[in-house]
Amino acid sequence: MTLFEIFDPKAAPRPIGIDLGTTNSLVAYVSNERPVAIADCDLEVLVPSVVTYLDRGDVVVGRRAQLLAPEHPRDTIVSVKRFMGRGADDPETRRLGPYEFIDAQPGEPNTVRFRVDGGKVVTPVEVSAEILRALRQQAEDELHHVGGAVITVPAYFDDAQRQATKDAARLAGLEVLRLLNEPTAAALAYGLEKKQNGTFVVYDLGGGTFDVTVLVLDDGVFQVRATGGDSALGGDDMDRAIAYELLADLGFDAKRQTPRLVRLVLDEARKAKHALTTQEQVEAVVPGHRSVTVTRARFDTVVRHLLERTGTACRRALRDAGLRPEELDGVILVGGATRVPAVRAYVQELFGKPPLADIDPDQVVALGAAVQADLLAGEGRTDEVLLLDVIPLSLGIEVGGGVVDKILPRNSTIPCSAKATYTTQEDRQTGFEVHVLQGEREMVADNRSLARFTLKGIPPMPAGMARLEITFQVDADGLLAVHAKELTTGLEQTVSVKPSYGLDDGTVERMLLDALDHGEADLVRRRLAESRVEAGRILLATRKGLEADADLLEAGERAAIEQACVDLDASVHGEDPARIQARIDALDAATKAFAGRRMNRAIARAIEGRRVEMVEKTVEHAKGVEEAHAR
Amino acid sequence: MNPFATLGVPARFDLDLRALEKAHRELSRALHPDRHLGASPSERRDALSRAVEVNEAWRIVRDPIRRAEALLALRGARVSEGAEPKADPEFLMEMLELREALAEARQGRDLGAVRTLARGIEERSNRVLGELTAGFAGGEAASLVAKVGELRFYRRFLDEVSAIEEELAA
Repeated sequence: MTLFEIFDPKAAPRPIGIDLGTTNSLVAYVSNERPVAIADCDLEVLVPSVVTYLDRGDVVVGRRAQLLAPEHPRDTIVSVKRFMGRGADDPETRRLGPYEFIDAQPGEPNTVRFRVDGGKVVTPVEVSAEILRALRQQAEDELHHVGGAVITVPAYFDDAQRQATKDAARLAGLEVLRLLNEPTAAALAYGLEKKQNGTFVVYDLGGGTFDVTVLVLDDGVFQVRATGGDSALGGDDMDRAIAYELLADLGFDAKRQTPRLVRLVLDEARKAKHALTTQEQVEAVVPGHRSVTVTRARFDTVVRHLLERTGTACRRALRDAGLRPEELDGVILVGGATRVPAVRAYVQELFGKPPLADIDPDQVVALGAAVQADLLAGEGRTDEVLLLDVIPLSLGIEVGGGVVDKILPRNSTIPCSAKATYTTQEDRQTGFEVHVLQGEREMVADNRSLARFTLKGIPPMPAGMARLEITFQVDADGLLAVHAKELTTGLEQTVSVKPSYGLDDGTVERMLLDALDHGEADLVRRRLAESRVEAGRILLATRKGLEADADLLEAGERAAIEQACVDLDASVHGEDPARIQARIDALDAATKAFAGRRMNRAIARAIEGRRVEMVEKTVEHAKGVEEAHAR
Repeated sequence: MNPFATLGVPARFDLDLRALEKAHRELSRALHPDRHLGASPSERRDALSRAVEVNEAWRIVRDPIRRAEALLALRGARVSEGAEPKADPEFLMEMLELREALAEARQGRDLGAVRTLARGIEERSNRVLGELTAGFAGGEAASLVAKVGELRFYRRFLDEVSAIEEELAA
C-alpha cells in the first residue's frame, strides 16, 4: 500500500491504543464509547511479541513466528521489550537466551544488536517496529483509516527506553499521540467502566517488567501519586526460574547449552507455569528427555524471591504516596503473570485485601490506551477525563565528589521543569561538563547515566565567578530535555537526552527511508498528509475558540484571524507541505494574543470555581457537617 | 515566583492539603497539554509553560521542606542550601553517629536495625514539623531556618534507608 492512500479526507481517522508488551501485544479502539480489542483473521486479539527473520529477507510476526522459534532460535527475537533502550553490555541483555549479539567495537554506539539469518543485523527498535507494523495492519484491516496511536510503556521505563519506543513507532509509520504509562492506562479502563472515586494501587506484573502505581481518581482526574517498580522483573523470570530447575533435574549445566535446548526448556517452563494456574502439579516434558514433575509448592518456592522484590517496590510507593495499605480502596491487577495463584495470594498478603481482576489482565492496558487515544483525538469526553502522570525516577546532575544533585525528584507531576545553578571549580575554567543522571542513589556510580555534554566557551574567570544555570524539562510523554546557560555571558546549549542507547535522529531518519518503498517521494507525501491533518485540527480549534470567547476579541482581530483561516484552508487543497506550514505559522501569529487572553480566562475560572466551592464548604462547616481532613 | 499565588492558595505552613490538591487539579484541567492538543502552536506553548509553572508550584507547596523554604523566602530569609548559617555542631555530630549506625546495619544486613533507626528519625522529623507549624503561625522566620536544615538531614537519611531496604531485599 502506498502512503498516499492513507490520506483520505472523507474517511474519519480512528485513533488506536497499543499495548506493546513483552510477551504479547494488542491493539484496541473505542467503538460506541466502549473500548474493544481488535482481533486478527483467526479471531485472536493477542499478538505474541515474537519476530522471526528468515534468510530470504522475509519477516514473520506473532503466532507464526512463535511456531518458527524452535527451528530458528537465533533468528527469532522473543521479548524484545527487555532490550529496548539498553546497552550491549547491560547485564540484562546477557541473561539465559539463545541470541547471537554483536559486540560494540570501541568508538561505536553501545546498542544491542542481534545477528539473524543470512547475517542481517537488527536492533531492538527495528524488531519492535515490526510488531507495531503488524498491529497497525491489523487495525487498518478493521478500521480502514488509522488516525494516531497511544502506545503504552511501563511507568518505570527510563528515558532511553521511552525514546526507543517512540522511535519504533515512527519507524512503523505511526503518529504517536502519547506515550502512556501502562498502570495509568489500566486505571483508565477501570475508572471509566466503574466510575468510582478513591485511592487505588495498580499492581502490574507483565512478561518482563513490574510496575506499581498509586493513584487517586477524583472527579474525572486520574492523578498518579507515586510509582515504582523494576524494569527487569516479570513472568519471564518465573519461566527462567523453572527452566533452571528443569535443566538441573535433567542433569544439564545451564551455562553451556545449545540455543535450541534453551528455547525448548524455556517454552516448557512457560507451559508448566500456565498449567499450574489451575493444576496442583504438572509433568514438564522437554522433547527428547525424560519428564520432570513440578508441583505448585515447588513453583511457589522458586518464585518467592521474585514476589518479594515486587513487595519492596510496593512498600516504597505507598510510603512515597504517604499512605498505609488499609487506606486503599482497591488493588487492580494487570499483566498475564497476575493470573499465577501465588501472585494473587502475595498481593492479598501485602495489601490486606483481595485484588480486583474483573477486566482481562491481558487486555486492560490496551483498552485503557484506546480510551486515552479517543480522548486525545477529540472524539471523546475531553472535558471530563484528564490524566496527571509523574516521572518515575529522580533526575539530577553530577556535582563534586561523584555525588548526584537531584534536580527533579521522582513522582513530580509532568510536564515539569526545574532549574539549579552551579559554578566553576577552577580559575580560568572554560568548559563545564554536565552529566545527567537518573535514579535515587546518592552516588553517581549507583545511578543510570543518561547523557554527558560540555558547555564550552565560558570566558576565563576566577573560580566561583561563572554562574551556570541547568534547566531540566520533562514533557507530557515523560521525555527529558536539558538546557545549560552561563548567566554572566548568556552562552546557551540545549540537548534532548536521547543518544545514550546509540540511535540518533539521523539514524532513525535513515531507517525510516529504508523502510519506505520509494524513500524520499513517500516521505514528502507523508509530510503532506501530516501537515494537512495538523492544519485541519488547528482550523477546528480556532473556530471553536472564536465561538466560545468571541467577547475577548479586539477590534479588527476577528477579520485578521478569519483571513488567515481562509488562507490556510486554501493551502490544504494544494500539494506543498511547506506552504501549509507557512500558513499555519501565519494563523498562529494572528491568534497569539487572543489565545493568551483565553488562557488567562481559563485560569481565572479554575481558581474562581474553587473559591465558590470553598465558600460552600465553609457554609457546610457552619452547619456542623464534619469535614474529614487529609493528614 | 510565589508558588502560593500561582496556585491561588493562602501562603501558610499548615495548609489544607485537600484544598491544595483541588487547586492543582482544577488548574491542570485548564492547562494540561492534553487539553490543547489540537490548538495552534503558540497556544500549545503557552499552555505548556503555564502547566509547568503550576506543577512546579505544586511540587514546592506540597512538600513540607520546600513549602517552608518558600515561606521563609517570602519573609526575606536566605534559605537555599549552603547559603545558610552552619548547623549546630552537636546536631551534626549526632547525625554523623546515626549515619554510621545505619552503615553498620547495612553491612550486617540487619533490616530490623535499619527500620528501628528509620523510625527514630521519622519521629524526630514529625516533631520538627510540629515546631515549624507553631513557628510559622507565630510569624517567626530566622529561627526556623535551622529547623528546615534539620528536616533536610532527616529526608536524606530516610532516602538512604529506602535504598538500603531495596538493596537488602534484592
